[in-house]
Amino acid sequence: MKFIIQRDTLISSVQDVMKAVSPRTAIPILTGIKLVAKQHGITLTGSDSDISIESYIPAESDGIVYVEDIEEGSIVLQARYFPDIIRKLPEKTVEIHVDDQLKVTIRSGNAEYNLNGLDAEEYPQLPQVNTDDSFDMPIDLLKGMIKQTVFAVSTMETRPILTGVNISLENGELHFTATDSHRLASRKLPISSTSLSFSNIVVPGKSLNELNKILNDNEETVEISVTNNQILFRTKHLNFLSRLLDGTYPETSRLIPEQSKTTIKAHTKNLIHTIDRASLLAREESGNIVRLATKGGELLEITSNSPEIGQVTEDLNVHAIDGEELKISFNSKYMLDALRAIDAEDVRIEFTGAMRPFIIRPENGEAILQLILPVRTY
Amino acid sequence: MKTWSDVSEVQPLASKILMNSIRKGRISHAYLLQGERGTGKEAIALLLAKGLFCTNKSDVEPCGVCNMCRRIESRNHPDVHWLEPDGQSIKIEQIKNLQKEFTYSGLESNRKVYIIKAADTLTLNAANRILKFLEEPSKQTTAIMLTENSQSIISTIRSRCQVIDLQPLNPTSFKRQLMDAGLQQQDAVLMSALTNNVDDAIAWSTDAWFAEGRKLVVQLVEMFVHKPEDVFLFIHQHWIPHFKERSQQEQGLDLLLLAFKDILYAHLGSGEDTAMLHMPAEQLNQLVMFYSQQKLITILHELLQAKRNLKQNVHATLVMEQLTLQIQR
Repeated sequence: MKFIIQRDTLISSVQDVMKAVSPRTAIPILTGIKLVAKQHGITLTGSDSDISIESYIPAESDGIVYVEDIEEGSIVLQARYFPDIIRKLPEKTVEIHVDDQLKVTIRSGNAEYNLNGLDAEEYPQLPQVNTDDSFDMPIDLLKGMIKQTVFAVSTMETRPILTGVNISLENGELHFTATDSHRLASRKLPISSTSLSFSNIVVPGKSLNELNKILNDNEETVEISVTNNQILFRTKHLNFLSRLLDGTYPETSRLIPEQSKTTIKAHTKNLIHTIDRASLLAREESGNIVRLATKGGELLEITSNSPEIGQVTEDLNVHAIDGEELKISFNSKYMLDALRAIDAEDVRIEFTGAMRPFIIRPENGEAILQLILPVRTY
Repeated sequence: MKTWSDVSEVQPLASKILMNSIRKGRISHAYLLQGERGTGKEAIALLLAKGLFCTNKSDVEPCGVCNMCRRIESRNHPDVHWLEPDGQSIKIEQIKNLQKEFTYSGLESNRKVYIIKAADTLTLNAANRILKFLEEPSKQTTAIMLTENSQSIISTIRSRCQVIDLQPLNPTSFKRQLMDAGLQQQDAVLMSALTNNVDDAIAWSTDAWFAEGRKLVVQLVEMFVHKPEDVFLFIHQHWIPHFKERSQQEQGLDLLLLAFKDILYAHLGSGEDTAMLHMPAEQLNQLVMFYSQQKLITILHELLQAKRNLKQNVHATLVMEQLTLQIQR
């Protein structure tokens, strides 16, 4: 195997795949980066077995030549040394040559490294996903959906399935759900371009956070495909694969109350600030409890009280309060997370009594739904 | 042992059970392989794992050359997880990683195998954590636990596994194997008493430290008879400086145990080859006269107690001092 490559291009690709490589891994081969040279370009792969990232460098694109002199082949290089070597090489181009004994020569200008490579055959085989079972969506929408749901996944290992986000695609509607059994975040998005459908795909929250970091904010689209044990997010030059969580995600649709007894419409920003102020005195150990009460007219009273510290009361003008009188307590952290995830000027909160879960939605729209369980206080 | 037919020569019963269940597609969800060192636990675990993944099996034998087999052999297969004691025991951190692994789908397929070496070193807590997964295995998961000390496996784990007993190696065949490898008869007898591993045996038989250790043991045994007042000095001047590491101390006690066993056998006239004490019959007779059978049995008990003490981190010097006092009583 042999090729000559532009160093800057290689650096950025290596940096991308390094995000998946973990220095502590049980499988020795995963401490390396896999390089595969084909006539049409070079593919780099990094993995910690939970997530895998592939980066593709085309031999030539838009008339610019990135890789020359390609002889096909593949090799695994130690991720501890390879990125630093590439970064510090003197010239603009790098020549990489691998012989039959897996000895790797990296040459740039007058600098020459001889490294021991590992056999690429030993590297895990990532599933070949065919493009028929996939759909496209804009990157910014995907990132938005991740941000609006992933914060609600459980961090407790007692119910591992809840550490993931449940993704389903049915009747042309993509649906993300996350819950830690105290709150639930859900986001729907119509996808018109596909007739594909799947359900009970649970992607680990950790993987989605990582994906969110790796995807650039731009106008491009991402192609999503699902196999029975992995999910693939494919952008132009980057493939992001994550393993799925094993198990059945609980049925969540029945948790969402259909009717409401009290409805509040409020300005999102103001509500966030008020609750944030009240939460200053709410103690973390006792569950960040903040109380909300309707005070007639369009006035809400938000209070928090910790006997040892003191108490805070604030009245907030809202747009409208309909329905029954209400006094309810909840965890302010959950409330703030939920309100911040709703990307809208005004929100509508629907209560069904002080002991029942309540839901928060943007003023006009059903796409985002945040559900929070209240706290029982005496 | 690379194939089932190799295994069946050493472990006919175990391999027959396993081969039949592979042939009939009735692989159990969890196996507990118990057998002494060198009885082929790891070889069997590897063969089982390969058999589950190999793409090119002929009957029950995995091919050993396909990508899957090669990666299992080199421990690079992402869906075959190895758990080995990190130091003295299997740490809770390792179990946590394993638990996380259970909740994920497989990387390449949904089939997963985990192999726990020295499963007796699981702490009680760690063992209880694994229980849950043994209890509710997902369809394509196979657990293989290996142990030399089957009594330390908690009963709740044992009851959830198919237990495969590996029979101890035949000492005569092992002896012959060693002699074929160029060891002398008396060395071969000693080594077959100490270990089941051919490589270890050959390495020890050429090791200068080991030879010196053997000499010291014989000296000590004779000293009890001839110069009992100097035994304490001997321990401090020769024994302690020579057997420094924990593993060396344990080996020293093992050798001592064999030496006293020789004397006991001489008493009983069993006619077996002596493992440690190669000396003219007269000299051996002197020892036999000095130690009564009753006394020898007490000494052997004391030696076992000393080994236990060492395992429980009692200071090596104290263990030896106490031992010599007890022997001289």
